[in-house]
Amino acid sequence: MIQVIDVTKRYGQHVAVDHINFTVEKGEILGFLGPNGAGKTTTMNIITGYISATEGTVKVDGFDILEEPEEVKKRIGYMPEFPPLYMDMTVQEYLDFVSDIKKIDRATKKRSMEKIMDLVKIGDVRKRLIKNLSKGYKQRVGLAQALIGTPPVLILDEPTVGLDPKQIIEIRSLIKELGKEHTIILSSHILPEVSAVCGRVIIINKGKIVASDTPENLSKRLSSSGRLSLRVAGPEKQVLKLVRELEGVKNAEVQGVKEPGTVDILVEAERDIDIRRPLFYALSRAEYPILYMRSVDLTLEEIFLQVTTEEREVS
Amino acid sequence: MLAVFKRELKAYFASPTGYIFMGFFLLICGIFFAFSNLLTASPDYISVLSSITFVFLIVVPVLTMRLMSEESRQKTDQLLLTSPLSVTGIVLGKYFAAVAVFLLTLLITCLYPVILSFFGTIAVWEIVGGYIGFFLLGAAFISIGLFISSLTDNQVIAAVVTFSALLFIWILDWVIQGLPTDRISGIVFACALVVGVAALVYFTTRNIFVSVAIAVIGFGIIAGVYFANEYFFDGFIVRTLEWFSLLKRYENFMMGILSLSPIVYYITFSAVFLFLTVRVIEKRRWS
Repeated sequence: MIQVIDVTKRYGQHVAVDHINFTVEKGEILGFLGPNGAGKTTTMNIITGYISATEGTVKVDGFDILEEPEEVKKRIGYMPEFPPLYMDMTVQEYLDFVSDIKKIDRATKKRSMEKIMDLVKIGDVRKRLIKNLSKGYKQRVGLAQALIGTPPVLILDEPTVGLDPKQIIEIRSLIKELGKEHTIILSSHILPEVSAVCGRVIIINKGKIVASDTPENLSKRLSSSGRLSLRVAGPEKQVLKLVRELEGVKNAEVQGVKEPGTVDILVEAERDIDIRRPLFYALSRAEYPILYMRSVDLTLEEIFLQVTTEEREVS
Repeated sequence: MLAVFKRELKAYFASPTGYIFMGFFLLICGIFFAFSNLLTASPDYISVLSSITFVFLIVVPVLTMRLMSEESRQKTDQLLLTSPLSVTGIVLGKYFAAVAVFLLTLLITCLYPVILSFFGTIAVWEIVGGYIGFFLLGAAFISIGLFISSLTDNQVIAAVVTFSALLFIWILDWVIQGLPTDRISGIVFACALVVGVAALVYFTTRNIFVSVAIAVIGFGIIAGVYFANEYFFDGFIVRTLEWFSLLKRYENFMMGILSLSPIVYYITFSAVFLFLTVRVIEKRRWS
């Protein structure tokens, strides 16, 4: 559906986006992850045709952004980081205007507008000036604007920024809902958001793609050794000694005491060795019962730090 | 284009801008009408039209300062430029909206000659011609304002620069009179023009060969013209600058002469500035 081919953007000497390549399939929700200034917004601006790439091109549905910009733009709904709202218009007037510039014919306009206002829940503020709306409502009007004309592709730049937790959850579930009918690219620097919503994640840093996979795979791939978190009823020192002496254990450390008389430890095993059974028997023989044991995957936060710091070490 | 036009037109009257423009324009026009027609009982309405042109200096910046600059400040240009509209369509929509407010105001002032006609005979066609000239002059000024508004994202800067540009055009005729008309200065001026164009090309394309080629060709043309007709450079500065004088052509209209060439000139002038506006916006996306 979307092909980004070797896109580079230079501002003078500064390279904002450096030879990026990726494709997005129809119906996919792609997360775009990276620290501030990584080139997320620049890439999105290039895909939507707001700015032009220095090199490379973007194809949407087979149409090239440079050769047939209008065909591409017709297929994309874009919600920039700052919703592009006219403060002197009411919500209704604004959405009317957006339908006009998107060349939506009058017959379908009214019906689809009602649907969109229901979807993002702005029906009750339609008569109010956008200037007087709260940040959360402005954000939703920004989203409504992108949805007008039901474009097959939605590009959302940090859609939940500045919202309260309840609104964030609402917007996320809305995006998931929209993912059934639209192909979505979503950028964020909030990691749980991306893992909650997206089917695939691209991590970008300093204008380059550093990783691209499903959130689950990413976390598996990068968890270089099996890590276990366990809670054991027993004295801290003896338990720790016992665990450390076990074959296949690379490292073990105390995480703290959450329940009196017990200790929480994090055990790191050598790669490809399953230490759960030996661990169980060793501790039960010593009569230190294991209260819980679970494997720890790297969270997206850790992956993120890992890939971005690796990148820094290489360069 | 129509959508942008409608939105801009509404925006003028959703904010004080439209009312300030109309109010101030009508006030000045009314004062001049009262003093030069009503109180002196004179039917010479065209003199009102020719003496209130200075009002453009103040009201045109008010009308145009917001047009493009506010879009980039509020980032609403992202909406327009990622929609299936063409940049030309956006610029034309905005230009025609500003022109429409101006035209609406002019139509209100048409009441004045109608009032006069109750008390005597007025030169109807002369006044119609005067209005056409007045309208074209204003439309040309609006295109300058629109262009300047696209260069900045600050309304105040846009207004001040537009005012300065219009003021410069105003005093141009007066400045021209003091400029040298001899042959040497004409040639120097022509060479400076060539260098300026070459430099402009260099700064926009960063292509040294093309700009040097343009400079060489330019100097070649100057030399060629000099050898073919050395009198060409006598008073070259004055002739060149006079070509830019919007007001000189306006005088024809005020004398009741309605010829095609100034009409074409004004329309071309506006078209050039609209084209430059489109280029500025396009270029910003590429840089």
